[in-house]
Amino acid sequence: MSSAGGLTLAVPSKGRLEEMTRKAFSSSRLTIARPGGARSYIGSIKNQPQVTVRFYPAAEIARELIFGGVDIGVTGSDLIHEVSENGEENVLFVRGLGFGEANVVVAVPDAWIDVQQMVDLADVASDFRARHGRWLRVATKYVNLTRRHFAKYGIAEYRIVESAGATEAAPAAGSADLIVDITSTGDTLAANSLRVLEDGLIMSSEANLIVSRTADWTPLRKAQLEALLSIMGGVPAGISTLL
Amino acid sequence: MKTASERYAALVRLVESRTVTRVTPPLLLPAAPFFDLAGEEFGRNLLLTTASNGIEYCLRPDFTLPIAKSYLDDGLIGVPAAYTYLGTIFRQQNGQPVEYEQAGLELLGQADASQALDQVLTFARWALAIYDVTAPSIRLGGVGLFEAFLEAAEVPPAWQARIRHRFGHPEALQRLMERLAAPGEVITGHAPDGRETVIEIVTDAMLSAGLSLIGSRTPEEIADRYLEKQALDAARIPERTVRLLQDYLSVAESAQSALDRIGAMCQAHGFDFEEPLFQVRNHAAALAALSPKADVIFDASFSPRLDYYTGIVFEMAGDEGDILASGGEYDRLLTRLGAPEHVTASGCALWVDRLEKEATR
Repeated sequence: MSSAGGLTLAVPSKGRLEEMTRKAFSSSRLTIARPGGARSYIGSIKNQPQVTVRFYPAAEIARELIFGGVDIGVTGSDLIHEVSENGEENVLFVRGLGFGEANVVVAVPDAWIDVQQMVDLADVASDFRARHGRWLRVATKYVNLTRRHFAKYGIAEYRIVESAGATEAAPAAGSADLIVDITSTGDTLAANSLRVLEDGLIMSSEANLIVSRTADWTPLRKAQLEALLSIMGGVPAGISTLL
Repeated sequence: MKTASERYAALVRLVESRTVTRVTPPLLLPAAPFFDLAGEEFGRNLLLTTASNGIEYCLRPDFTLPIAKSYLDDGLIGVPAAYTYLGTIFRQQNGQPVEYEQAGLELLGQADASQALDQVLTFARWALAIYDVTAPSIRLGGVGLFEAFLEAAEVPPAWQARIRHRFGHPEALQRLMERLAAPGEVITGHAPDGRETVIEIVTDAMLSAGLSLIGSRTPEEIADRYLEKQALDAARIPERTVRLLQDYLSVAESAQSALDRIGAMCQAHGFDFEEPLFQVRNHAAALAALSPKADVIFDASFSPRLDYYTGIVFEMAGDEGDILASGGEYDRLLTRLGAPEHVTASGCALWVDRLEKEATR
């Protein structure tokens, strides 16, 4: 981030996302090195000394991109939309990388045979409090996405219960009535007797190569960015006016 | 020419006039009542902080709720009260914290609700006059009127509730109207199952999913709504009633002619709606008398998104369309907060910073 140039690239710090990100880069002959192994949070790219690699959890990468703490990163597009209400205005999606596909969906207990669509949920929400003396509760870690989607369908009468993990268990555990969660195959939802609403798809997400628009883009660093992106399959049109 | 501080002093005098009690709720308030009252939609605008015991607090986002709540907590039900306030409110907008100066009036437990509303309108009018706004654009809406309209138009009760719940949510209401206007799919060869059978099926499904039968929606509730949906599909609202509804919701013009037009369309549909319209006419007339230069519009689809509003609602805007004052009747507020009986409530909130901007324009 210094005026002397140099780029910071954020890479998911563990698991399949890290592995697939490395693969995507090495298919462009960019080999990501992590000298200290999985415990180290800093790395480099072979033959690209101007690039510093930082390893972060995926949600952290979204936050850093939005606030300009890193210049480029790989993370799920869902996280960009979730981390900040207007996160997508602060970044530039360069391209989807073809892995980490997942859908953020609204799912209700399968036993709710009267609820197929968001309009049904709107009906249920509207008199839920009168019937049960509390708001309809939605368990999710996607607070912003949920609020936006529900507002789009005119549903205001609900409360979000933030869940850190195992969101799909919330209805059976009694801590929520329905959930908004990520699913790739739907198996976890089905195993928990949950069903995605017909119009319950909030967004389709995959891992993206993303550029921060809020980072400090000096002419030198812009040139370095364009050089790196051209190795990785092309520079998006009009990028210099967007940064 | 008055100065800003003279205008502010005049506003303080209005807020501290002899017939009202000025109150100042704390800056830091428990957040739960706001979430309970207004839900997630409003909750996203709160500036929150959490005490070490896990209880969430918010910076005062509004005066109405804490004032109504302490009226209840102090056991004042049955006592007519007139509260005013002037102070800062805190919200977040587009991820940024913002502060506004807000003034307002809350009339609680007044015996004559209609007179109370006129008092609210007068208060807003005076406040605007302090800032030299003599020709505001005033938008009136009728929540109670719409409820009465649904009933008078003989919309089936189950549909009435569905439509009413979407009032004030333009997209949701639009979607529902489209659904109503669409030619009905004819469901054939599918006799509604017996209620007991449906309850049993749902109960089985819930038990095998490990869901509590009493903690959330009950099997009876799900079965009833399932059967109701089937019944609704069978008993659609007649096409001409749907058209009447659409016509009603599209009325937005100068109050006098708007209300005449609603009266006429009901007449043409074969029912008399003059009595419910009478109240609205009176208040529109009172407004016209209060500020002859104001442009008073009745907008049939206008309603705040909060479901505790009941009767007439209004907004007053300046030259550039900024809302300077808004309010109305919200008789459901106190029962929402736990009042054991019906308590009339009306009031308004004034955006002081916008008023000041208007004065210096």
